[in-house]
Amino acid sequence: MKFVAGALLMLVAALVQVTWASQLEIAAVFPNVVLIVVIALTWTQGARAGLLWGCAGGILLDLNAPGPLGPHAVALLCGAYVTGFWARNLDRESPLHPAGAVAVSTVLYSLVLIASDRVLRLPIPTFATAVQLTLAAALYHAALMPLALIAVRHATAGLHLEPAAP
Amino acid sequence: MQGRARSRSTGRFLTLAAAMLVLAVLSQQPWAAGARGTAKSVLAPLEAQMMSIASSVDRATAIFGDIATLRAENQRLNGENQDLRRRLAELDAAAYDNKELRQALDFQRTFGHRTSVAEVIGRGPDAFSRTLQIDRGSADGVGAGMIVVSGAGLVGRVREVGPHGAIVQTLADPQSRANVFLSGSGLQGTIIGGPTALQLQLEHRVGSVASKGEWAITSGVGGGYPRGLVVGDVVSVTHSDAATIDSAFVDWGNDPAALSLVIVVLDFSPS
Repeated sequence: MKFVAGALLMLVAALVQVTWASQLEIAAVFPNVVLIVVIALTWTQGARAGLLWGCAGGILLDLNAPGPLGPHAVALLCGAYVTGFWARNLDRESPLHPAGAVAVSTVLYSLVLIASDRVLRLPIPTFATAVQLTLAAALYHAALMPLALIAVRHATAGLHLEPAAP
Repeated sequence: MQGRARSRSTGRFLTLAAAMLVLAVLSQQPWAAGARGTAKSVLAPLEAQMMSIASSVDRATAIFGDIATLRAENQRLNGENQDLRRRLAELDAAAYDNKELRQALDFQRTFGHRTSVAEVIGRGPDAFSRTLQIDRGSADGVGAGMIVVSGAGLVGRVREVGPHGAIVQTLADPQSRANVFLSGSGLQGTIIGGPTALQLQLEHRVGSVASKGEWAITSGVGGGYPRGLVVGDVVSVTHSDAATIDSAFVDWGNDPAALSLVIVVLDFSPS
């Protein structure tokens, strides 16, 4: 039941990402709903759950992106791992830490995507464009994180997903 | 206790990351292209449903006013405006290209091509890849490399194809490139995709300077795109006599967030 609920949550997040999220574009970036949900899940349920759902969400994003399957999953795994580490070692109740965690995860996510494109010999954006998009996305995600945490806590409570041990 | 949790999550992270890297390498192989395309088509029906729900929500909210009517009117006027802008650009292009040259190049207008209309059912998941997912695939005759246009001009190129869906790399994708000429000055250059305005790198020709308001139209140079497709209008130019190239910004005629229908040109193969 827990697995099905989590899978449904990621599927909805991925579908929202590829259909509606671009309507929320500000300063040439739009929020990555899957990344925000994965970081919120990692923050509330622990690193192991975050890693699992990060992997699932990443594959769903890869299904909608050009190129091979896997790079988005690896990028989300890195974000979830760092967030798990962050949540274990710092004050989980502070609203600033999850915002910081999602900002750092966004930077990591972007770096991994660019690096994987380079390794796979796919074209990559210019350095200036990449920096501009990454920083804008990090700020955007940090601003949305408090709302996302509330939503994920609500959703996981309703779906009977119990918080995991840190 | 915390150390054990950390080592468990590190182990899971390394295992999953390794598995995903293997998946990436395997799915990039040429023999896996078919399976990859099929997998990417799996979500297409759900995405189409989501788009349809979004449209329904839009319609439902119109009950609180005339928003839908105004939006439809605005869209119609925008469409007309785009059509007029395209026609104007084509007239400019026609003035620039003389008839004999066109005949010599066996130039065909876009409207002479065989096309297929496709619905946009999804968009790229991140800002690094400004892509669109359409509901036409190899079963409908769509193939990788085909050109995609709209009423406002060039949209991009089909990058990957599944049986019932395809991914289109738009001009706004930072990785997109298109060779163009300007309708007034005739200067040639390369459009580089970007998240805001498209960047244009222009040849430096003595006595000719690009000016604001000129139309950027595909030149056909390089064979990537057919000649004569409208890209957008120049909004700013940076010129220096000492520079080897000039740069400009072009306002793209299409808004990828607003595109709902596109046209795939089926009979143009990039060289």
